Amino acid sequence: MVEVSTPVKWLLRLLAIGYVFFLVAWPVSTIVREAFADGVGAFFDIFSDEQVVNALALTVQVAVQAVLINLVFGVGISLLLVRYEFPGKRLLSALVDLPMSVSPVVVGLSLLLVYNGRDGWFGTHLEEWGVQIIFSGTGMIMATCFVALPLVIREVVPVLAEIGDDQEQAARSLGANSRQTFWRITLPSIKWAVVYGVVLSLARSLGEFGAVKVVSGNVANQTQTATLVVEKQYQSFDQAGAYTVSFVLAFVSVLCIVVVSILRPKEHH
Amino acid sequence: MSIEVTNVTKKYGDFYALDDVSVSLPTGQLTALLGPSGGGKSTLLRIIAGLDTADSGTVAIEGTNATRLPPQKRNVGFVFQHYAVFKHMTVAKNVAFGLEIRKTPKAEVRRRVDELLELVHLSQFADRLPSQLSGGQRQRMALARALAVEPTVLLLDEPFGALDAKVRKELREWLRRLHDEVHVTTVFVTHDQEEAMEVADEIVVINQGRVEQVGSPDELYDEPASDFVMGFLGEVTRLGPVRLRPHDVEVGVTPGRAGAIPGTITRLLRVGFEVRLQVELDRELGGGADPVSVVLSRSHARSLDLELGSKVWLTAAVGAVTVPAMVAV
Amino acid sequence: MATATLDAPEVTARPTPTRRAGPRTTLTAGSSLGLGVAVTWFSLLVLIPLTAIVVTSAERGWSGYVDTITNPQTMAAIRLTVGQSLLVTGINVVMGTLIAWVLVRDRFWGKAVLDVVIDIPFALPTIVAGLVLLGLYGQGSPLGLDWAYTERAVMLALAFVTLPFVVRTVQPVLGELDHDVEEAAASLGAKRLTIFRRIILPSLAPAIAAGAALSFARAIAEYGSLVLLSGNKPFSTEVVSVRVLSFIENGSTASAAAVASLMLAVALFVIVVLDIVQRRVSRRG
Repeated sequence: MVEVSTPVKWLLRLLAIGYVFFLVAWPVSTIVREAFADGVGAFFDIFSDEQVVNALALTVQVAVQAVLINLVFGVGISLLLVRYEFPGKRLLSALVDLPMSVSPVVVGLSLLLVYNGRDGWFGTHLEEWGVQIIFSGTGMIMATCFVALPLVIREVVPVLAEIGDDQEQAARSLGANSRQTFWRITLPSIKWAVVYGVVLSLARSLGEFGAVKVVSGNVANQTQTATLVVEKQYQSFDQAGAYTVSFVLAFVSVLCIVVVSILRPKEHH
Repeated sequence: MSIEVTNVTKKYGDFYALDDVSVSLPTGQLTALLGPSGGGKSTLLRIIAGLDTADSGTVAIEGTNATRLPPQKRNVGFVFQHYAVFKHMTVAKNVAFGLEIRKTPKAEVRRRVDELLELVHLSQFADRLPSQLSGGQRQRMALARALAVEPTVLLLDEPFGALDAKVRKELREWLRRLHDEVHVTTVFVTHDQEEAMEVADEIVVINQGRVEQVGSPDELYDEPASDFVMGFLGEVTRLGPVRLRPHDVEVGVTPGRAGAIPGTITRLLRVGFEVRLQVELDRELGGGADPVSVVLSRSHARSLDLELGSKVWLTAAVGAVTVPAMVAV
Repeated sequence: MATATLDAPEVTARPTPTRRAGPRTTLTAGSSLGLGVAVTWFSLLVLIPLTAIVVTSAERGWSGYVDTITNPQTMAAIRLTVGQSLLVTGINVVMGTLIAWVLVRDRFWGKAVLDVVIDIPFALPTIVAGLVLLGLYGQGSPLGLDWAYTERAVMLALAFVTLPFVVRTVQPVLGELDHDVEEAAASLGAKRLTIFRRIILPSLAPAIAAGAALSFARAIAEYGSLVLLSGNKPFSTEVVSVRVLSFIENGSTASAAAVASLMLAVALFVIVVLDIVQRRVSRRG
């Protein structure tokens, strides 16, 4: 390998660390200071606020359901994309990445246009059958599913492609049917990729803001998630409250990232 | 007949991987499917196993029509070139897989696994993960795994192709001995003629999607049905109107014999106990553009006192296997 | 004794074996069903709703569409968003590549921490990102800066949320670069900078392009981190996603859809770029 000279090496190192420190590390660390500014007691007081507790509970409910749906869908579509040939495969493979780059606000708007009960494409009919999607949990789960959709797929597809189908074929030749092959061979081989995908999806789903804001109606104690509470608290000058809820959200998401980074190297033993 | 392949054709786009192939493989024997890469031999093996399906034609295993059967219902053992070990399972668990799928009682599974690991000399590695084994050990494990389900036929796809030369030679001999012990009908694919000649009872030569010849190693070597088979089973050189093996070229240092073609030694190479010559034929006497390759023993070469630039007269040895040379190949 | 039937014994000259797989399918009954369910769900969740945006944006005809887009406030938002996104993408190309280089080639205490911190913007809720940036760069900043509600704040928020993209696309490619090639170049007399420019950079180019495309798309689409930080002042710090949201809140979905359709076009463009880059990289093997 061609080494750079020592001064250049130090300069690059300093630039990299400095940039990340000022842009991410320092700002994120301020949240700890702010959240515990009035002591640990004050921090825990926030959990006696019914609105906050309801919002956190709703966030967890929505995120867990969205992650489960994306898990099943993600693993299924990954298997189809890697193991099978069919017309339109390339198109589908490109389209599943689309939610990565669509604005959350656009996601919310798109669901609103199709599923709102007043003039939505399907919404009006669903309303007649008594099904409400927009301004309800269903809509919020759908919005969350939409934004986090590619995460499991992006983790699983490369691993599936890399392990190849040799092991699966060996299992088939030894008498395993497709169900047994999936549970005993395929799933254990992609286990870690699935775990990363789920953890990343969970982080993304807990923190979704824009799309949920559009479809939820943002009604306190009913359709208001934790991120929406942060916005509302901040805008009503309850900065301490906003920082406290933010700390909870940031803690969980940073924990997710740390868990993934600890698990990841184990794959290459 | 253990395996009956009848009129099987397989196309990829407009490329014929197999073109109307029929072949019968006898019970209890060790058969090699031999041919160059891309010639269709692996495709044939995979079709027998049910891992690929033929476009047309039928496959019967032990008298049962298996053409439409999925792989898990054919009761074949398949060994892959790159082992296809189950990376997340121990060696013992790998071997037990097929038995567990068949809901074999636990004690019975344990007994069979012990027996098989003994057979492939891996007993002390039972609780290791495949990643802790060498390539040769992994392939022996894969073989034990395939044998565990007591398959009607054992199919091996270039089983030693990914191993280094020394291990390959060991495993080759070991496979031969194993087959003499277990006697299961075995078919293996190889592109290495030496491997096929050494191990197999019966060789099926496949090229460009067709069967070129079927026979014992001796039959193939002594009576090649085509120029291709002759060329594939060993080195071939051209002497005047015929093609023959370099060691079947008789070298004389005086003109005497009838039909002898004169030439000059242009290269001389000693490799171990043999001497390899290249002889440029005198053009006006029917020599081709290419020099003739000749192999003879070191002592023979010494007795003839051969050197670079020596004038020699070449004839085909008595009883040599020859085929007419085609004009342009 | 084995027998073989040779239906065509003569060796005919065949075209060279090329495996051309036409548009064929290897789907089984079970996997077809799976594909059907997956595509239905994907259509209901993503494809039909996104189509609805395009259809709704066309509801008021071409002139209505153009009027919405060319409305001065909307134009100002588009200019701001595109300008800041380009700026931030440029920063990411330089800083992202630099950080990836440091992560792969340098070794120092705390590198693992740096590696983890890079991913935080990816997982941190965007609203929280805005809040934490406000803490350091807003009123009462410990740095003595007050960038809140300015264009700088927009840039800051976008730089924060897009940080991981270039780093994470370049890092693995850089890690797998063949050192022999660099050493070969050095042995041929190339200087370090020449090696970087002529040998390393060209190999990284597809990855940098992919990372840049992703970070541009993300910047154009960003909403959550800007809500608290930028102040959303029309003609000054209002970005397109905020503009779309205010159209939605005012009930003018057609206008919202018109602006959203532009954003969707950018997203689609990026997907196409990524697909091309990925194909080019995989073709190189």
